[in-house]
Formats: sequence, structure tokens, C-alpha cells
Amino acid sequence: MAPPTPILDQFIGSVSELVQERDGSKLQDFLQIEPPLSDIYQRMIEELRQRYPPGPQSDTELQQRCEILVPRTKGSSSWSAFPTFMRLYFSFLRDVNVENLLDTYNLLRALLNQCVLALGDSQNGVIVLPTVLYLSKVLAKLAMGLDRQPELIAHILRMEGGSNREENIEKVTLVEQSANVVREAFIKCLTDRSGTPGPNGKPEGKRVGIYLMANLCLKLLFKCGKLRNAEQMFASISAQSPPLIHFPASQRVTYLYYLGRYLFSNNLFHPAQIALRAAYDQCHRQALNQRNLILTYLIPCNIIMGRFPSKSLLQRPEAKGLAEQFAPLCHLIVRGDYLAFREHLSFNSPTGQWFARKGILLALRNRCEILVWRSFCRKVFIHGGFHGDPAAQAQRGPPPFLYLQKLLVATEWLQSRSKLSNGTTKPPSYGSQTISEPMDPDYVGLENQGSVTSNGDPELMEKYGDFLAPAGCFDVGGYWKENMPGQLIDGTPEPEYEEYELDPYADDEIAEVQPALLMGEIESILASLLTQGLMHGYLTHRNPRFAIPGAKLRGALPTGFPNVWETISTREKEDNSVPGWVKPPQMSTFGAPALGGAGRVVNLSGARPVGVQ
Amino acid sequence: MSNSTPQGKANASEQPQQQQKPQVLEEDDEFEDFPVEDWDQEEAEQSATNEGNDHLWEESWDDDDAAEDFSKQLKEELKKVEASA
Repeated sequence: MAPPTPILDQFIGSVSELVQERDGSKLQDFLQIEPPLSDIYQRMIEELRQRYPPGPQSDTELQQRCEILVPRTKGSSSWSAFPTFMRLYFSFLRDVNVENLLDTYNLLRALLNQCVLALGDSQNGVIVLPTVLYLSKVLAKLAMGLDRQPELIAHILRMEGGSNREENIEKVTLVEQSANVVREAFIKCLTDRSGTPGPNGKPEGKRVGIYLMANLCLKLLFKCGKLRNAEQMFASISAQSPPLIHFPASQRVTYLYYLGRYLFSNNLFHPAQIALRAAYDQCHRQALNQRNLILTYLIPCNIIMGRFPSKSLLQRPEAKGLAEQFAPLCHLIVRGDYLAFREHLSFNSPTGQWFARKGILLALRNRCEILVWRSFCRKVFIHGGFHGDPAAQAQRGPPPFLYLQKLLVATEWLQSRSKLSNGTTKPPSYGSQTISEPMDPDYVGLENQGSVTSNGDPELMEKYGDFLAPAGCFDVGGYWKENMPGQLIDGTPEPEYEEYELDPYADDEIAEVQPALLMGEIESILASLLTQGLMHGYLTHRNPRFAIPGAKLRGALPTGFPNVWETISTREKEDNSVPGWVKPPQMSTFGAPALGGAGRVVNLSGARPVGVQ
Repeated sequence: MSNSTPQGKANASEQPQQQQKPQVLEEDDEFEDFPVEDWDQEEAEQSATNEGNDHLWEESWDDDDAAEDFSKQLKEELKKVEASA
């Protein structure tokens, strides 16, 4: 006779009642999985092991026991995913060996998968929503823990890789895998059609879980560096979610933080700034760690847009540790030394490493250097530019201008005092003149090419040595033949040989070319500043100058070098929408939702003329 | 090294580790769950008395201080060019 299972019976009875009462949070409270489990669970596990030991036979029997849990109301299809989930829950308790973390992870993932299937039921799914969230959190914690300690699972992964090579090829980390399961749950929440769905709806039914699941999924995606996978999530939220404002503050702030970071990493600094600012403003003032992380991204957003953190912001308790990272950066932008700026953000500097770990190094490097150049040009103009003739004050005086030659000299001065270009006195004859990059190993020796000593005419050999006396050649049979150094392969060349010019750059005198190269680079940097509106005026190419017309009213400096933040924010303000942030539909003066919203079909069948009742 | 004194071990392991790994992977990079689910906006704002209304951002940061070191040197350098030209 089968051993009795009084505790299991009682447990199933209670679960059945909770399902009848649709009490999701109490159900979640019942379905504990994390050790240490209380004594009553231990006794139930003992009963399970005796009555239903692992095996297909007892699995079937256990499944039958769980079937009674499904509420059988007339006219509704049965919720078959739930009994299967409960059976998996029991076998999880029975079989799990927490010593083997990877095994635990796999069992838990299967359990959560089944729970998400149960969540999909249009009538009863909402009952398991708290359980889905609970299991997701445990799975996420486990996956992140395992990914952090690869040595714990290395041997097991290796064994698995041997038996199943496909898994080896995919290389999906456990964190990403669990993000995918959580995303399924998110979709089930988002697509709940009960009540009023969409932007006019309220968080009811499964929709209360939209941002809980989204936030957990985003946390995992950020963790495993698969931000791109978040794009679809934000798009579906934009299309289908009720407005964010109807959700609790903790969910709003967390979501806006991740959204802001996502936008930041896509170089959308203006919407990122709006989202992060809202997250900061709505965050509980005592949640210092969260506020600190929000500021870690809100501050660089603002710096890139030309606005620096104030002293009082950096002195706030939540800004702890941020001043020493960001204040020197701002200082360097103001100073205008692009080489010191580069050194500060090089990967070898401690600051550079800190920025890299936060994922903002490249954005700062790429976006702030132009601001450094603006400061530099401004200073050179202050000390070396023509500011307009104050005596003349007449209409006809020339506009204020700066000879770019002065900018060139100042750049060379910067280079001479920099640690970066220490030792390299001669700039390269090709590539950037403002930055000396280390020589690519493939091109080492390129500059000395052609200087072959030989028994031929030295002048001729200097020019054509690599052709007349190469290191070797292919003979008539197609075999490689070494050549003695300096040996003329085809004998003495014809006398008119010197008429041929093979080097297309031979006419350019190197000495003249190099300053021209640097000037060309400075001109293009200025052109870029002008196009971005960070400087105002025009360039002349012949006798290179930067001129500032129309400066009489406001003065040369404010006209030629307008305020960065004003320039950028004015341009960006034209579109203040933040993709991924659902706001309540705008009410028009008639009390109806305002028309518009690009690409949305507006049904006008119910429209009536104003004033008609 | 297996039978070296505990003290010797400590000395041997201390130095290279400190040099190689100056920074520990910071766990606090994670955005923690909030201990409370919901709160009013008043609880998010800095109280008005406590630096609530001060400005957070510097929008005008251009440096016109000619006495600053970098500017001074730059000025000297540009003067040299004018003198030689």
C-alpha cells in the first residue's frame, strides 16, 4: 500500500483554495523554493520522496493529483498548464540538489518556463503573476551568481559541451538565457487584453506586472551586455503599455534609469537626459545608492550636452565619489588642452578605467573632445585674435577674426609640452598631425623604403632602387630568386630613365606638406565646430582665417563662441519625446484625446461639431 | 613553499596581489531593488530648507581668467610668434 501523505494532501488542499480565491500573492508565499526551507516543507519533501520517487510512473500519478487544482467552471477551457507547473514544483522540491548549482539552475529555469505558460491563460494566468516574479528573481540571482564564478560551473559546462556541441556554438550565457525566459513573462503581461489595454488603460490584470518584469529583464540584459535585445522591449512598451505614471514609484524610477542608460548607450543624449532626470527627481531621497547610480549617467549626459554639474550637486550625499571623476574632466574641457584630455581618458589612466567600467568612456571621449577644441580656439582667439577696431567703431571696420596660423602654432606648442608626444619630435608625413598614434606593426619600415645602396647611380637608386634592385624576383620559370643587396636586376638602366616619375607625391616638398597637413586638420576641426553650431562665423581658406561677422551688438566672444548648452538644448528641444516612455494621451481643450501621434489611425466616426450635444 | 611559516605566506601573497588587482569588481554597480514599493513625490524631493532650490548645473563655464596658468603660457607663446613674424 502506498505510504500516506498527510502534509502533501493538506498543501494541495490549501493551494486549491488559494486558486479558487484567486489569491496570487498568498499562492506565491506558499510556493517556497529557496533554502532554508522550514520544517513543514522538509516533511513534505520526505513524503514526496517516499510516495513519488523519481520515475515516469510516479510522475504520472503526481500529475493526476495536481489535476484537481484547476478550477472547473462551466464554459471555460481548463487551465492545463497549472497542474503541470505544480507537478514540476513538487519534483523540483524532491530532486533539487543545491550543491550542484548548474543543475539547480536548469531545474529552476524549467519550472519558471512552465509557470510562464500558466501565466499565459487569459482568465487565470494573473493568479501566478507573483509566483512568476518570485521565481524570476531567484533565477536571475542564481544566473548572475554562476556567471560571476565561472570556475564553479566550468567542469559541468565542459561535460555538457562534450555531449551537446550545439550549446557550445551558441555560447548563450546563463544570464542571457534567463533574460529570455523573463522576457516571455514580460510579453504575457504586456499583451493582456482584459479591461482597457493600451495607452488609455490602467495597470490591471496582468498589466500590473509589465514594468516589474521589464525591469528584471533589463537588469539581466545590462548584466550580460546584450543591450540590443532590449530594443524590441522598448518598442512594444511604447506601442502597448498603459502610461508609466500609473505604476508605483519604485517601478517608474527603476525603469527610467534603465531606459536612460539604454538611450545613452545609443548616443541619444537628450532623451536620455530627460529620462534620467525624471528618475533622479522621482527617486526616494533616502535611496542614496540608486540616486548615485542615476547621477553616474545623468552627469555625463549633461556634460556631453555642455552643462556641468554644479558644486552643490557634487556635494550632495548621493554624489559621493563622483566629484573626483567628473570635476577634473570638466576642468580639462574648460582648459582646452586636447592632449591632456586624451591622456585623462586613456584606458591606462585610473579615471579612464573607472569610466570604462561604467560604460561611459567612449561616449565621453568621442563627444567631449570637440568641446575641448572649442575652448582652445576660444582662448587662442582671446590672446591672439583681432577683436575688432574699438577706435573705428564705424560701420566699415573688418569683423573680428583669427589667423588660423596662430591656432597652428598654439597646437604645436601643446604638442611640444605634452607627455603623449614626448620624444617624437618630427610629426609623421601621413595620417593625423594632431595625434601621434603608435605605428601599426604592418607598416613598420615603410618610411625607409627605397633607400637602397647599390653600385648604380646613387640619385637614380634613391628614387627607383626598390624596382631596379629589389630583394628578389621571380625568374622565367616562376620561381622566387633572391637578389644580392644592391644588385641591378636588369643591368644598367637606360639613360632616359630619370624622366619617369613613379611617385605621385614627388612634387610635394615634405617640408611644405607637413604644416599644410596640420593646417588642413585644424581647418576641418573648425569646420566641424561651425557645422555643429558650437562656433559661429565663417572660414576663409586662402590666407586661412576664422571670421566672426555680426559681432557689433553682442561682442566678438559671445557671437563667435555661443553658449554650448543653449546651442545644443535649443536644437534638441524641438523633439522632447522619449522613446519607450509612455505618457498619458494629451487631452485637448475639448476633453478628448488630442489627435496625432505619428502613424496612428484616428477614428473620427464619433466626432461631432463643437457645441452639438 | 608548502612548509613555510604562516607569516612568510602572508608576506608572499600580499604584495603581488595588491599590485596586480588594485580594484575589486564592485558589486554596488547593480541597481538595487527599493525597500519600499511606492512613495509620494514629496519624499523624493530635497526639502526646501536643505538646498532644495539651488541650481544643479553650470551652463556658463567658459574660462576668461587670463591669469590662469595655461592661459598665461599660451599668451606668452603667441607673443613669441608675433615678435618673430
